[in-house]
Amino acid sequence: MPLNVLLPIVIVGIAGIAVLLHLLGRTAPRRLSDAEEALQAWAREYPDETAIEAWPSADLRAALILLADGRAGLVWCMGDDTVARLLEHFDLLDTETGLDLRLQDISAPHVSVRLSEPDRRRWKEFILA
Amino acid sequence: MTEITYPDVVSYAVPFFIAAILIELLWIQLKGRGGRYETRDSVTSLIMGAGNVASGILLGFIAWGFFMMLWEVTPLDLGTTWWVVALCFVLDDLRYYWVHRFGHRVRWVWASHVNHHSSQHYNLTTALRQTWTYTFTFMMVVRAPFVLLGFHPAMIFFVGGLNLIYQFWIHTEAIGKMPRWFEAVMNTPSHHRVHHGRNPRYLDCNYAGVFIIWDKMFGTFVPEQDDKKVDYGLVHNLGTFNPLRVAFHEWIAIFRDMAQPGLTWRERLMYAVAPPGWSHNGSRMTSDEIKARHLKTGN
Repeated sequence: MPLNVLLPIVIVGIAGIAVLLHLLGRTAPRRLSDAEEALQAWAREYPDETAIEAWPSADLRAALILLADGRAGLVWCMGDDTVARLLEHFDLLDTETGLDLRLQDISAPHVSVRLSEPDRRRWKEFILA
Repeated sequence: MTEITYPDVVSYAVPFFIAAILIELLWIQLKGRGGRYETRDSVTSLIMGAGNVASGILLGFIAWGFFMMLWEVTPLDLGTTWWVVALCFVLDDLRYYWVHRFGHRVRWVWASHVNHHSSQHYNLTTALRQTWTYTFTFMMVVRAPFVLLGFHPAMIFFVGGLNLIYQFWIHTEAIGKMPRWFEAVMNTPSHHRVHHGRNPRYLDCNYAGVFIIWDKMFGTFVPEQDDKKVDYGLVHNLGTFNPLRVAFHEWIAIFRDMAQPGLTWRERLMYAVAPPGWSHNGSRMTSDEIKARHLKTGN
């Protein structure tokens, strides 16, 4: 198929499907219902790293995971799913709405977490301990 | 010499791909079952598909030039009769099985293939989440014997395109099981759902493209179990929808691992060619180790 035909089909196709999905309410719908769901999302990716507690964020789109050995993990929502990472190599930045975590991980570089002021202090205290 | 040409079937299939995606989405929307769609996940998959076509246009000349060079030196020419095309299709599917198996067992090849598994969804857009970096795996050499045996390079690309088109429709949860005879011989949505599973029992199996018989012949077939729902995606899922990161993250990870200080040359090489998850200090797990843990602990 000539490029001058294929290219418009591809561009219109991708744009059309994107708009349709968004209008159908299928953009980033996932929220963690509670700490228990955050722990399940953690265990799904790190079954060997025992978690003892989860602190969900204000918007329920992320949770700090407290591990049995004192380390920290993070679970967050990606689209309609969740992702988890051990917090090992990262930079932590304060933002107007919470915290930014810049992970040294090419496949998960950045997570923004919305937190109330008391939660922000509590999260930082544990993460930086 | 008569020039042999075949249609570029993949590009002609693009309107069909788009129509099928819309039909699947409509089905899910109306029925409330049969799969999931998420906007950014789907857009990333579609951009990866477009990028795959673009990389074929930009880098395809490398494989084409290599095959035409072999075609010039081989004394064999099987011609273009229908049975030669059919034979080429079957043999190319066997070639696909092994390249796909290497793609899961050799990290250098996995770096290219990983993006196809990087969605946590399993729908028709996932089928189009294709590699941009296949040329750099050098897996084109696996097709070289076909050219030397007398299959024309244009025919080899043609049947490869047909293979890819066949695999499009099996990326769906909207179809349960096909008739038993079909499930026995052909790759199906059920067989391929298993292939996309990150559950320990479903890791590294069902590598088939069109004919599932290759997995049955070579001992890599695992049936879908009704009591074990497939969990799609990677052992550690991506935290990004950025197509550039999806396309290149594993390549960068390989080079970072190889560049660690204090490694022997053998360890550096192993980071490139050992199965994904291999590490010099045992700090990560390969799929074999994940399966062994699952059998031992249930995790």
